[in-house]
Amino acid sequence: MAFNFNWSPLIADTSRARDMLTTALNKSPKPPIIVDDILVTELNLGSVPPELEILEIGDLAEDRFRGIFKMSYTGDAFLTLKTRVQANPLNTYLSTKPSFASPQPLAASSGLTIPLQITLSDIRLSGFVILVFSRQKGLTLVFRNDPLESLKVSSTFDSIPFVRDYLQKEIEGQLRVLFMEDLPAILHQLSLRLWSPDYRELDNSNGLQEGNKDGTIPIDPLSSPPQNPVDGFGNPITDSETSPFFLDDSTQTHASFSQKNLLRLGALAQSHRTLSLFTPGIREAVFRAWAGTTESKEHSGAATPALTLSSFSRAHSSMGLSTLSSAYSASDGVESGPSSSSRPTLSSFNSAIGHGLTLGANRSRAHAQRKRKRRVVNLRKDKNDDNASDTASITTGASTPAPSVIVSEPLPEREEDLVTPPRSPAKNVRFSARRQSGEYAADSPARSPRARPSTAEYPAQENIKLSLPPQKHLSPDAKPVHESTTSSAARSRPPLRLHHPTPSTSAIPLLRTLSAEKLPFTTTAQPVDPFSPSSSSGGILEQAWMMKMANEIARKVQDEKRRQSQASNESAGFWEMPPPAYSSV
Amino acid sequence: MLGFMDYVQKAFLEASNWNQDNSYSTLTATAQALLDFETPRGLRLNVSSLASPKFASSYTIGTVGLVDGSLSYLYSSLPLEARFKSSEIDLHHVIQGYRQLQDLRQPDQSWWWEVWHKGKRVDRRDALLYGRLFLPQSTLEALYLRRLSPSRQLKISAVSDARLPNGGTILTLLQNDFGKYSTEYLYSTDSALLGVRGLYNFGPDPRTATSADVQAEPVYGRFSAGAELYYGLLNKSGGMSTGIRFTTLPQHTGFPYTMTLTLNPLMGNLSSTYAVKAGQNLALCSRFDFNFYSYESDLQLGCELWRRRGPNAEVEWASKMLRPDWERPAVRPDGDVAGVLKARVDQNWRAGVLWEGRIRELLFTLGTSFDLKRRDHIFRAVGVELQYST
Repeated sequence: MAFNFNWSPLIADTSRARDMLTTALNKSPKPPIIVDDILVTELNLGSVPPELEILEIGDLAEDRFRGIFKMSYTGDAFLTLKTRVQANPLNTYLSTKPSFASPQPLAASSGLTIPLQITLSDIRLSGFVILVFSRQKGLTLVFRNDPLESLKVSSTFDSIPFVRDYLQKEIEGQLRVLFMEDLPAILHQLSLRLWSPDYRELDNSNGLQEGNKDGTIPIDPLSSPPQNPVDGFGNPITDSETSPFFLDDSTQTHASFSQKNLLRLGALAQSHRTLSLFTPGIREAVFRAWAGTTESKEHSGAATPALTLSSFSRAHSSMGLSTLSSAYSASDGVESGPSSSSRPTLSSFNSAIGHGLTLGANRSRAHAQRKRKRRVVNLRKDKNDDNASDTASITTGASTPAPSVIVSEPLPEREEDLVTPPRSPAKNVRFSARRQSGEYAADSPARSPRARPSTAEYPAQENIKLSLPPQKHLSPDAKPVHESTTSSAARSRPPLRLHHPTPSTSAIPLLRTLSAEKLPFTTTAQPVDPFSPSSSSGGILEQAWMMKMANEIARKVQDEKRRQSQASNESAGFWEMPPPAYSSV
Repeated sequence: MLGFMDYVQKAFLEASNWNQDNSYSTLTATAQALLDFETPRGLRLNVSSLASPKFASSYTIGTVGLVDGSLSYLYSSLPLEARFKSSEIDLHHVIQGYRQLQDLRQPDQSWWWEVWHKGKRVDRRDALLYGRLFLPQSTLEALYLRRLSPSRQLKISAVSDARLPNGGTILTLLQNDFGKYSTEYLYSTDSALLGVRGLYNFGPDPRTATSADVQAEPVYGRFSAGAELYYGLLNKSGGMSTGIRFTTLPQHTGFPYTMTLTLNPLMGNLSSTYAVKAGQNLALCSRFDFNFYSYESDLQLGCELWRRRGPNAEVEWASKMLRPDWERPAVRPDGDVAGVLKARVDQNWRAGVLWEGRIRELLFTLGTSFDLKRRDHIFRAVGVELQYST
């Protein structure tokens, strides 16, 4: 597989980028030494493209892409800024001081504003970049760490060491902010303007700059479906038409959960974190309080995906790591069949911990389906030696026969596996599957919100359903899959990966990531999602971090395995376990 | 208009025979009063009182953004005798306008201050303590002023605010005024700033001049020159300026005027001001700034117009008929002042207008600043300040 990154068109026209950069630079309060607007007069991306090392690709199609890169840049890009600065140190010094205790010089503080031209060159960058692109939702680029290694600031004042050092320091600070906060926003906007004219009126504040706790500003363009999608000729597109274009079909969330239910579930989940005594009643759900979120980490995965805030983070927000949170899978598979990427990563750990149920199944399955078109490519080497499983876990087609649930050793390190999310057309499958598993779902206390058996009760779901083609492909597999799932002591989780190679093939998307929230990435900054602030879901971002954690987790897994062997007897208990809370890590 | 506490401090200086005008920092006081006056923002109420001749308190509440306010207290070891009631304050004292310099006065001899009682010196140095707490910002201002000797004064001002680096700053200022010349030394804890200011008055030395000399050869004007120098120890940066001033003295027969020229050689800034009191009611001022490094220039014009009440026509005939020995109603020193209008404008058409005066018992300041170039957003700030004091 090869990627062709075309650098030259980026160099061609930078006027718009310049304008945006100018706006971004003038937005934040400027230090007192700068007395005028900062104008970006020249922006040249240079002829040397950055070096990208692909660490992982979570999703790949003509109109969408998700991946994590290691980027290093030593090119010849340069940026020229113009502004006016206050050259009198006494003036800037006094401007920030209270007048009461100021020396109040007569004329010694009179200003001398000097036009200043700053050229930033020799920019050295290196860092992890998470790139998410979808034609509908634009481009999201986030730096996992502070990418700026060094740069050279040359200005009008190079001959004055004091000023030069000051400028160097100030500009480096500003640039760090720019890279971490402003640049993602700029790029996102730029891409929206480029590809999606509907977003032009979207203002920046609409979720572009939501910061999450660790300071990286993830933007999840995927979480917001286009408001008024139109085709190339400006004709409006209906939902059903657009759904195939969605990275992860955005309607699925709304299909699975009505807005009301989302709110309720959110309130329920919130009630863990507050002292509120109010827990909204949700039918067919048994609410069990946790002692705390930390505990939930311990008993990862097992249960009540629906109760965690995280679970609401949409499937698509998990950036392309196919999660197989097997813990959720039983209910999820049923519920949100079409769902997206399953992430083997975190959730799989959890699941492994929770029950020692089989993750190995997929491996074998994967093998079987090698011939099929692969949607998921794992480009990374398995870094965990202790993980015997081959990393090639490339899941494909729904055509897999009912997955056998194999109790094998858990694969905690499966994070490398990338599974392409199946798409929306599969929805109908989901419903049918759900019906079958309805009984099963009902008795599991944890599965409540998602596992509402009767779709009719939820208008949102119904609507979606209507929009879908009626029973287009009801995969025969669906039934066996779910049966097997349930049959396997019901508490055993469903096969790790069942995914359709193509959306058109009615696949049985069994799995859905519920644990997306754990990932620091993808803040769903979209108003529709009531839980967005808390549920910072991540995706690929996690990866880098994950590797560091792998050892620790592996150890945990061993412990859990031991434990789970006992636990498997009392299978019902699994479902009571709270979902993992990685957010606290 | 001076705030109540500023007025009290000014009264303290006057009571202790300190000449504020003889300092390099007040070289351009006239131009500053006519061109750099502050226009109030929002509504501000000030209630103050001089509870005793030595103690004053003042409370301010304002609406800038949210409601904010301040409490301030002042103690003076020197009994203050001036009139502080807002109904009695002489507006000439609280409204800063064209500043007419007086003749230099010979500083008191130090032995004048000595008070002996039963063979011991019992005199104390006059001091002033002042504190002001701003709420809700929790900013504290404190001032300690002490007349060390007839020609020397120590002023320590401090600001405590959690938002400031190091939690606050202290400025120590030592002022010497020998009449003929004055010097000031200052130190600020902020970046360890050291400063020196000096002003020298050309002409006869008040310390040696006798009254006979003055009458023989009256002096119509005074020429002064000064300089200031600052250096921040921590940030290794400094600043300086020099300035000259010529101003007419009260003996001058024509209209009074003041000219200043200040130069900042480091920054290339040259500023000249010319203020003239064109009549009893009108003062005009202009300032021209030019920077010979950046070729930037600025021009500001300002004026001050005192509005006086004419004689009351309805009762004028009656008052004329009063016999000389009849008791007449007491006339306030500024009884004829209805208000003062100040206006300024600069070359960028930014303008400010201030109307100060008295309504019944209240002193008011009504002002606005606006930008004539921006049609959509002309008014930048509008404000009213009301002061009441007893």
